Amino acid sequence: MKTGIYLCRCGCDNTGNVSAKIDLPAVREALINLPNVGYCDLVNLACSEDGQNALADHLAEHKPDRVVIAACSPREHEETFRKIMIRAGLNPYLMQMVNIREHIAWVTEDLAAATEKAVAALRAAVNRVSHHEALAKKMLDVSTDVLVVGAGPAGLKAALTLAEAGRQVTLVEKSPILGGYPVRFEDIFPKMECGPCLLEPIMGQVLHSDLSDKIDLRLLSELVEVTGFFGNFNVKIRQQPRFVSTHSCIGCGICMPECPVEFPSRVNLGRTQRRAIDYEFFGGLPNVPFIDPTVCTNLLGGDCTICRDSCPVEGTIDFDDKEQIVEKHVGAIILAIGAKLYDVSRVANLGHGVFPEVYDSFAFERLIANNGPTDGRLVTKDGREVKRLAIVHCAGSLDKDHLPHCSAVCCLNAFKFNHLVGHKSPGTEVVHFHKTIVAPGKEDFECYHHARHNDYSTFIEYHEPSDLQVSAAADGSLTVTCSSAPPDKQQTTCDMVVLMNGLTTQEGADSLSKLTEVTLDQTGFFEELNGRSDVARSKVRGVYLAGICQQPGDIARSMMQGAAAAGNALSGLVTGRQLAIEPVTAEVDADRCSGCRTCIPVCPYKAIEFVDGPNVARVNAALCVGCGTCVAACPAGVIKGNHFTNDEIYAEIEALLR
Amino acid sequence: MNTPPFEPKIIGFLCNWCSYAGADKAGAAQLNYPPNVGTIRVMCTGRIDPQFVLKAFAEGADGVVVLGCHPGDCHYKEQNYRMIQRHRLTVKFLEQFGIPADRCRLDFVSAAEGEKFARVIRETVEAVRALGPMPKLPPPPDGGQGVDRSDRSDGSDRSDHHQECSCCH
Repeated sequence: MKTGIYLCRCGCDNTGNVSAKIDLPAVREALINLPNVGYCDLVNLACSEDGQNALADHLAEHKPDRVVIAACSPREHEETFRKIMIRAGLNPYLMQMVNIREHIAWVTEDLAAATEKAVAALRAAVNRVSHHEALAKKMLDVSTDVLVVGAGPAGLKAALTLAEAGRQVTLVEKSPILGGYPVRFEDIFPKMECGPCLLEPIMGQVLHSDLSDKIDLRLLSELVEVTGFFGNFNVKIRQQPRFVSTHSCIGCGICMPECPVEFPSRVNLGRTQRRAIDYEFFGGLPNVPFIDPTVCTNLLGGDCTICRDSCPVEGTIDFDDKEQIVEKHVGAIILAIGAKLYDVSRVANLGHGVFPEVYDSFAFERLIANNGPTDGRLVTKDGREVKRLAIVHCAGSLDKDHLPHCSAVCCLNAFKFNHLVGHKSPGTEVVHFHKTIVAPGKEDFECYHHARHNDYSTFIEYHEPSDLQVSAAADGSLTVTCSSAPPDKQQTTCDMVVLMNGLTTQEGADSLSKLTEVTLDQTGFFEELNGRSDVARSKVRGVYLAGICQQPGDIARSMMQGAAAAGNALSGLVTGRQLAIEPVTAEVDADRCSGCRTCIPVCPYKAIEFVDGPNVARVNAALCVGCGTCVAACPAGVIKGNHFTNDEIYAEIEALLR
Repeated sequence: MNTPPFEPKIIGFLCNWCSYAGADKAGAAQLNYPPNVGTIRVMCTGRIDPQFVLKAFAEGADGVVVLGCHPGDCHYKEQNYRMIQRHRLTVKFLEQFGIPADRCRLDFVSAAEGEKFARVIRETVEAVRALGPMPKLPPPPDGGQGVDRSDRSDGSDRSDHHQECSCCH
């Protein structure tokens, strides 16, 4: 075996960054007679353009079996020299760099000591490189289609961004309509835009634009199976029957008033009625009703066909519509399933679920909506006008017994309510019970400013959740007792209390976590790859995160993260380009693996699977990032860490101590 | 007659992302520190098999220093926690052989902490210098000649044990 060594002076003669501090000719003398060393040359600036060309020519001419380059940090130029190796027709992994500049020349005053240290480091590299193997990237064919789960702001933005780039998208949504929370909001902070007006053009693009044929929309659907990995996921989607065709329904609404089955509407707090065939709520898109099979006479075995008979488009209403399983092959998955409002009845001292006039934020949102149960009038259930309204911020949030995190949107939502009450119910006083006020950004603070500085609102600060107690008098009026308030503000009587409940784990997140192997972190949200630099990626390669299933935030953030997740999917899977799998990964020797599974839980990237039958572990190179933890964990020593093998490390240790 | 001071030989295992970069930073800042530590780069301290540490001592190292990302900063999320667990066990094991824990240091150096890197190296060298040369390890019970090279490379001896022994199956 012939090893070629290059000692870079990082400058000229003995004035270079390295050559001024290390006696390179002496290093050469110490190395040249080592076994396996073919030649040892001093070069001036190996990384310069001339230096690179000369190095490539020299390597191509001499064709050493192994190469050692002693220069600066491999963190700076390892890739540079690997490219030179490739130019010279050599395998890039048959080269080892030695950092004689940052780790020796620049930190060692004594020239003799530096020279001795450099000799030891080079001996180690020469010894190590003899064990190097020629490694190559593997290339895989991939699907560039993307599955988006959830059609709220984040999922819609992701789907449209991908469709605009020409990608085929499957958009799965569990409800019968698009839009997530905001389409249910008449106003959106901080500018009080109308929610449906904001989202309708976006939803319209999904439903009826040039991009629509790129988006396979699956409503009333959920993901039930995921196999495979980045680039090649096979997924199964279970779609519940709607019994009304979204393709042929013209949205005339003739069928609904004809339906004889009425029951309380969930969306309107059970205070208005809906029919067995109805919209989720008026204005939801697609503008197509659906039949609730749990109440429809026909679907429960009766012979009612009134809706079908009234429908002007034949074949639109189909009682035989069945659940179906849709299979897709996709390269990437974007999770955008949103979050759930915390069940604030669990905060016992706040009276939710006990006193009828204590509402959570979503119920209050509906109560004052123009299409809500009171047509937008702020009245109690027994019809009394609300003279004073208490709004409790952080109901369940920033509370170690409930939600330890800040839910990010509740303060602004409370200020929105403040604004809406001022407009819809002039004369109603609003008392805010708040902890920390969260209103960052260039627009949000203005919203706070408006809520705070007017003649109908008061702000009272509390510290701990236990400082508050909501109680009721016999006449139905409520009292909020705040023990941490100044003495004259400790008792506030009011007619209604709104609890600004925080955001928590969405229903179905657990099962999606199991399917995709993306973990939920201790706050109950999907765990991102990095909280600062990579919030739209999960730790599972090819599964991306968007919106409030990753972290509480507002619509702007969800939209942004939807675009970011789509961007990650676009750059990760490019049409016409195979997926290159880096060779510095772990490999299990299946013949010697005992199947003890020690390695599987230590991998945070879920790159190791257990293969039934032979009962061995297998590393999926497409997911492995090459950290080597499983290699160190294997009790049998049968996992090889490519390019950081035991042989290579031992060779370094031996030579350094020789 | 003055005897020259004892110059310990120390092996340093550095993770690529934090500590190796911290060492680069010390270099860029031209911070002087003693040359006694020969460094070995691994991608992550999670790769550091306790056998690497044992191997270093068996080959005559007077000390070992393992430097990784600060807890919570691991480039690979949490592998430095595994290194911490393994280090604790390794140190206990070393003590069974009469090798004091001070000969095997674990610390955390971020990519920004060039000063800290230089300080940790200085302290480690001084600590190991104070302990004196590593006493020669007792020969293996079979009277063999130090480390048997045939079993060092891929753990095949342990693997055979693993395949056959009843505790593993």
